Amino acid sequence: MAKGKHPKSGNQKTPRVAAAKTAGPKAEASKAGKPKAPASEARIFTVDTRFQQMARRAGGIPRNKALERAQSALDEVKPSYDDWLEREVAGLAELVKNAEGGNAEPGWLETAAFRSRQLRDSAAPLGFELLAFIASSLCELLDSIEAGSECNMESVTCHIDALMLARQGSYRRMKPEQVPELTKGLQRVVKHVTI
Amino acid sequence: MNLRDLVILVADPSSYISMLIHGMLRGFGSNKILEVRNSTGVLQTLMGQKIDIMICDMHLPPHGGLSLTRAIRSKTDNEHRTMPILMMSSDSREATIKRARDAGANMVIVKPISPSSLYDRLSWIAFNPRKFVDTETYFGPDRRFKIEGYPGGVGRRSGDKEVEIGAESGPALGQDDIDNLFSSVQTGD
Repeated sequence: MAKGKHPKSGNQKTPRVAAAKTAGPKAEASKAGKPKAPASEARIFTVDTRFQQMARRAGGIPRNKALERAQSALDEVKPSYDDWLEREVAGLAELVKNAEGGNAEPGWLETAAFRSRQLRDSAAPLGFELLAFIASSLCELLDSIEAGSECNMESVTCHIDALMLARQGSYRRMKPEQVPELTKGLQRVVKHVTI
Repeated sequence: MNLRDLVILVADPSSYISMLIHGMLRGFGSNKILEVRNSTGVLQTLMGQKIDIMICDMHLPPHGGLSLTRAIRSKTDNEHRTMPILMMSSDSREATIKRARDAGANMVIVKPISPSSLYDRLSWIAFNPRKFVDTETYFGPDRRFKIEGYPGGVGRRSGDKEVEIGAESGPALGQDDIDNLFSSVQTGD
């Protein structure tokens, strides 16, 4: 590597570069006796970032307590979830309906994938396992379509129908294994489309 | 782990998911959490203040979290160049995880995120610091690692065993396998 090509990190205070050493292949003499240009060398150095220094301070919250408190924070969010879920599922259903009717919004597939990821990533930590399962299956399906699989709208619609069902109070707390016909059916649909 | 007074930047396109992560971090004792929805927001925030760790979604618009990570790591006059970056991804295929590692992410956490997985990944970054490597083609945490349970081992430097990179369509990795991909070699530094 050329001289001076590896400047130190921008912040000279933190993180600090405690030690440096070089590694990498050494220059070798060629058959003609001329030394080859040195191959790129790696500079390896220790960084102790402010995050690492501060996180190691005494007085932190023990893991069990931290997880309890985090769960409590999630529980506080739950009351707002109903309205949000209603809006998200309705928005997703409308997107799909428009696409099915030939009036697809530009980028509808990316938007649908984003919304389904949101549903999956919110339902799981809040403990809504059936919703998370269906949203995850829809994510897999949409990812597959984005990657080039046939855009089978029926398979998308049946996921939307399943989401409509699972958002209802009586299904919200269910686990996937409590509705095996539904979950196996969705798995079959995804498998069929992604093959 | 003590997160008090550390500035944490959560970069996720979803306000609802950010709110959930925000809640988890508050539970862990964090009191300085910033949120942005895109890469522009990240870069503006980094220009304006010191961030101690970034938790970034791989789908962050417009160009994704990996491009952003590469940009942060490659800019030489950037005080955040060595900032820890925890990448969130719902795609846990081996090839994707390796791309995150090669972009310079410190760790990947699989979405959906649970409090315990987030706490453990933050804790890992805090208590298992890795050396940084600076070459012509890479700047970031040392990518040398060994994988317990993977046949043949994995490595990237002369003397290390060759990587057999799986096909893009390979099976998703579990969080433990992902952690192994990021765990540094304990010997031979």
